[in-house]
Amino acid sequence: MARVLMLGWEFPPLFSGGLGVATYGLVKSLSHENQIRLIIPTAASPDFQNVNIVGLNRVTAEEINLERLHFSFSFSNTELHQLPLSASPYHYTNYVLSKSESNELDTLKEGKAGMEVIHNTFSGNEVYGPAIQHKVYLYAKLAEEIASDGKFDVIHAHDWLTFPAGMNIKNRTGKPLVLHVHALETDRAGHETRNEIYEMEKSGMEAADQVISVSQFTKDQIITLYGIDPKKIAVVHNGIEPVRTYRKDHALKDKLVVFLGRLTHQKGPQFLVETAEKVSRVYPRVKFVVAGMGDQFAPVLESSAHKKLGSKFIFTGFLSKAKVNDLLAMADVYFMPSISEPFGLTALEAAQYRVPSVISSQSGVAEVLNASLKADFWDTDKYANYIFALLKYNALHKTLSDQAVQELDGLTWGHAARKVQHVYQTITQSKN
Amino acid sequence: MPSICFYFQVHQPFRLKPYDCFKIGYDHHYEDEPVNKIILDRVSEKCYLTANQTLLNLIDRHKGNFRIAYSISGTAIEQMEKYRPDVLQSFQALAKTGCVEFLSETYYHSLSYLYSKEEFTRQVTKHRGKIKEYFKQDPQVFRNTELIYNNEIANFVHQLGYKAIICEGLDHVLGYRSPNFIYHPAGNSAMKCLLKNYKLSDDIAFRFSNRGWAEWPLTASKFANWAHHTAGNGETINLFMDYETFGEHQWPETGIFEFLKHVPGEILSHPDFNFKTPSEILDLYPVRGEYDVHALSSWADLERDLSAWLGNSLQHDAMERLYGIEKNVNETGDANLLDNWAKLSTSDHFYYMCTKYWNDGDVHKYFSHYNTPYDAYINFMNVLTDFEHILEMKNESVYR
Repeated sequence: MARVLMLGWEFPPLFSGGLGVATYGLVKSLSHENQIRLIIPTAASPDFQNVNIVGLNRVTAEEINLERLHFSFSFSNTELHQLPLSASPYHYTNYVLSKSESNELDTLKEGKAGMEVIHNTFSGNEVYGPAIQHKVYLYAKLAEEIASDGKFDVIHAHDWLTFPAGMNIKNRTGKPLVLHVHALETDRAGHETRNEIYEMEKSGMEAADQVISVSQFTKDQIITLYGIDPKKIAVVHNGIEPVRTYRKDHALKDKLVVFLGRLTHQKGPQFLVETAEKVSRVYPRVKFVVAGMGDQFAPVLESSAHKKLGSKFIFTGFLSKAKVNDLLAMADVYFMPSISEPFGLTALEAAQYRVPSVISSQSGVAEVLNASLKADFWDTDKYANYIFALLKYNALHKTLSDQAVQELDGLTWGHAARKVQHVYQTITQSKN
Repeated sequence: MPSICFYFQVHQPFRLKPYDCFKIGYDHHYEDEPVNKIILDRVSEKCYLTANQTLLNLIDRHKGNFRIAYSISGTAIEQMEKYRPDVLQSFQALAKTGCVEFLSETYYHSLSYLYSKEEFTRQVTKHRGKIKEYFKQDPQVFRNTELIYNNEIANFVHQLGYKAIICEGLDHVLGYRSPNFIYHPAGNSAMKCLLKNYKLSDDIAFRFSNRGWAEWPLTASKFANWAHHTAGNGETINLFMDYETFGEHQWPETGIFEFLKHVPGEILSHPDFNFKTPSEILDLYPVRGEYDVHALSSWADLERDLSAWLGNSLQHDAMERLYGIEKNVNETGDANLLDNWAKLSTSDHFYYMCTKYWNDGDVHKYFSHYNTPYDAYINFMNVLTDFEHILEMKNESVYR
């Protein structure tokens, strides 16, 4: 049984994307054979068997030594200052870490007042938000203090948000560091991106003892775009928690093609519109339901209007998990035209609801879901042909749904956890 | 005096071109002519021409003592007419030796028996005509697509006027008995079955170049020795295989042509052994037992069943949709339309849709030009949808 210091960002019940789902699934499965201490910015759930959850929103003075924190603060590296506008994980923001906030950190005081600042920074329901760099920075400092006891065998950090913390703790304690890549800055901001987050990811992965990527697709990106040694990257595909699903009727006479996710460049919204146009030409009784928000919402809306496809689209905005389930229960086809998708857990969720997927080949989930129809992200003719076929040929729809459900049986978090366990063993043994 | 009976299957399908939903209603031409030509050219060079010449030489050398049989599908003959008349001529040259027998099958290499006896009969008749036209023979022995077989098929084929049918020698049906005799199908003592000796056939067709096989490398004398060992327990050793075994499935570098060149001489080195064609076997030996097959069987895969063509609901759906419009097609009386429809019945279209094993990248993948079985199904269904569209317009104009 290994003692794992897990550094996460999203965790149920607070999460906005796949990261929280994945962290939870993995922690839960790993907890059967490991002792886990999980540090997250905002915790809203109690500890469970073998898992101690440390939330910075509720951290106690005993857990951090504020005086030392303050003292070491002035020596801390300054690379985190002045982060660029693209620094948010999921949204482009115009945020630049401001002087006043830095000052606030500098004046973090001992005792009650200091604790209050920390708790305030990490409370609320927004796990990202405009103050993200500020949070990342403070998280790294606090996690380092919390972990200074060194009572763990391995550090396991999830995505760039926790990489600085992971590196700090490795430096401080000498414990082996595993970086788990669920998404890269090059996915979010484009392959040419070389900003500070990119640098943070790169230096983190260089320093790490082992990198885990959620797909071969992401591993290839880490090798080619970040120049990391392939030998230290292990692929561990995400699993999926079994759920009870249902079907739901709807009043529309059209069939429903569902797009689920943030409307950002990475998700290929322009291909969504192009495909919708092509599909409705050959299969008029169709509606594309777009569930999600993002900076590409206005462009998508405009181009759909320009192509006179207004009646073909339904925009729902961001949906709660319950509403997403309802939507999947009504959907006929799940469509994910992402330009660069490290995994794409939603395609598996759709499969649980017996909704077959048309997905981009540039996705991790394409590697594990054989029973899906795949095309290069730009190939809207092929997407349209596939969506048409799923809407028109019932036997195809049924076969893909049946086979996908069968494939899900092999895609468990337990399976993923065993591979992670193997990674732990490899690096802790080589350390000894 | 035991005989060796060689039968080679020659078949090429009319592959469909990539046909997406945007073509439906606009493009009524389905064949992938460039691909079909490329593949026929390749197989002609690698297999047909070389193997034909090798066998022609052997027939010459052994002065009538080396004898073989072919079944050539109608779609293969048509493509040879179109792209490679030289290959067709080389088959005709073999026919002229008098040592080569041509068998009957469905013109379109289809599974039509399972869906429509009328269409099956039509395709068999059409094929028989084609064989007579090119090879001046009236076939007496029938082989169904992929050796798909049961008692009922044997009876039906008997009614069509055939003396015998070719089938797989199934262990679970034969039990302790040997496939190396003539049998009759259960309930029909007037019909005969020739059973494939799958062990010796597959030693050549599948295992020949397998370096992991304990018997590798397989020499002609070793093989002949195995065949000779059946002396006393067999009258006809039926070696049935795809003709593309020679040069295409087993590359020339494996030594398959050298093997072929030497097998007849090695076999004939034993004074009791000879080569006979299927019809000659029927005249030479008596029926030794009953072969009772109820469930449909075939010569494919380990299962020896129909799962390669009808193993999933995509294949069933496509097949049912296709035969669902048979009546409408016939009603148009349009020969061209009927031909286009029947070309869609070729078994390969359904084989490409097979989902068993495809993730393992095995033999099924090797034979498919589609990336996935789903692509095969979608392409076929798009074509069929267009065909149905033409049919509707045609029927409307007929009844107007």
